[in-house]
Amino acid sequence: MFQAKSRKIKTPYYLILPPQFLIWVVVIFPLIWAVYISFHDWNPTISPQRTFVGIGNYLAVLRDIRFLSALGRMLYYSGLGVTIQLVLGTVIALALVEYIRSPRIRTTVLVLFLLPMMMAEAVAAQMWTLLITDTGTINNILVWLGFSPVGWRAKELALTTIMIVDIWQWTALPLLIAYAARISIPEGLYESARLDGASKWLILRRITLPYMRVPLAIAFLLRFMDSYKFLDKVFIMTYGGPGTATELPTFYLYQTAFSYFKVGYGAAMSWIFGFIAIVAMFLFWRLAKSV
Amino acid sequence: MRKKNWGRFFGILGLVVYGIFVLFPIYWTVNTSFKEVGDVYKVPPSFVPTKFTLEAYRFVLQGTGRIALSNSLVVAIGATLIAVVLGTMASYAYSRYPFTGFTNEGAQFNLLTVRMFPPIAFLLPIFWLWKTLGLLDTHFALIVTYSAFNLPLAVWLLKGFMDSLPRSVEEASYVDGYSFWQTARRVVLPLIGSGLAATVALCWIFIWNEFIIAYLLGGTDVILYTAYLPALRRGMRIMWNQIAALSVLAIIPSVIILVLFRKYLIKIYLR
Repeated sequence: MFQAKSRKIKTPYYLILPPQFLIWVVVIFPLIWAVYISFHDWNPTISPQRTFVGIGNYLAVLRDIRFLSALGRMLYYSGLGVTIQLVLGTVIALALVEYIRSPRIRTTVLVLFLLPMMMAEAVAAQMWTLLITDTGTINNILVWLGFSPVGWRAKELALTTIMIVDIWQWTALPLLIAYAARISIPEGLYESARLDGASKWLILRRITLPYMRVPLAIAFLLRFMDSYKFLDKVFIMTYGGPGTATELPTFYLYQTAFSYFKVGYGAAMSWIFGFIAIVAMFLFWRLAKSV
Repeated sequence: MRKKNWGRFFGILGLVVYGIFVLFPIYWTVNTSFKEVGDVYKVPPSFVPTKFTLEAYRFVLQGTGRIALSNSLVVAIGATLIAVVLGTMASYAYSRYPFTGFTNEGAQFNLLTVRMFPPIAFLLPIFWLWKTLGLLDTHFALIVTYSAFNLPLAVWLLKGFMDSLPRSVEEASYVDGYSFWQTARRVVLPLIGSGLAATVALCWIFIWNEFIIAYLLGGTDVILYTAYLPALRRGMRIMWNQIAALSVLAIIPSVIILVLFRKYLIKIYLR
């Protein structure tokens, strides 16, 4: 017993240190460097000279119209897009459990529905680009059926098109989570509710949805984080264009840091964006808990 | 009774419509990958290739496509190995030894920042780190970066599996005279085996699917398939059949993993 106890105190550090070392070198140390550089004006393509500007970069980002409108676009793209994914995913999951009795068929259908989620965002974006270019498959089919072609990548529609692709790919995640939550509700609850003569609508409102609230909040959180995090679809489908019509904050960040090489400015922007994102997440989480 | 049947009818109809929405782009990609390039642009579109050909696959597997796919494979396997091995070590320690304050909380914090922060925000400093070290565009930089990014996920998943393993199993093994490493190898690892496999699969898929790190840290000497995809679109006449063929090849391992680990996916995402 004594031996086991002393083992407990001695062993862990060599188990912890290598992973922590990796994280510190590749993630945390560069982040600290990013804080340092965000107080400087530095464009390595022009000169190696770094000029100290204090919080000037931060103030400039907060007044940058292009950044602010990118944030607005994110609100539309992520807010609306993820809400649709969540609602659609929940409805499909409930329909799956309600209308498909055979467990074998149900699993097969579920696996088919999860397919888009497993592939790279870049691949999904390429697949859809083939469908939505001006002479792409969808327009070809529309013309063939006698409709006029739609400018899926035109200024007014481009962001919505990307949002549809995101819905296509990622409704699978809330669907999976809602499905798991639904089948974990004890069947006895439904039986006794039916015995009491409760209507389907009442069962849905009083049993199913309350049980699924926390998993669905988690699903929303996971999806929201991923949808503002990734720029793959924008990068491949429209490259931010036409103009700046599909420029989300992450893509503007990419442009600033890797096309215009305004490294200090980009670092400041990434901190502001990260801060906004984290505050939004915490607020949402508090809200989800309190409702 | 009649009302119920109508509800069922519309329910199934809804599922079918959603199924078409989900499967059509995939079907179209597979369809395109077997076409000749002239066939791709035809109006009305051909729903099966007018002339079935493996030309696109042959081209992809002979040229840069094969290099890109094998680079992706090497990087994904290497990074997954590092992430899971280090993740197993850390998660075992976090699960079995109550650390006070900093380390445990610190691990949680690492995880949260890595998950919430957009990768592009990390990439700005990481890009300059590798550039300063002269390691940009190498397998090494990609593998190390990917393993660091996936380590928190591995720790998080594995800690859950470790926590569900009763401690008495290990105590019994110590009583039987096994050393620490023997216990780890012969008792703990086999018992969490399936959880370990699921973690490997998930990490692997995240790395295999990643785009922006591959694009910024690689791209010339070491090109991964995700970074190669946009390059295929340049030029006057886009070779959509080749893009489709590469996409199909890239999706196959993910589909296999999905089918093998379908039961675990639910557990993993709900934790």
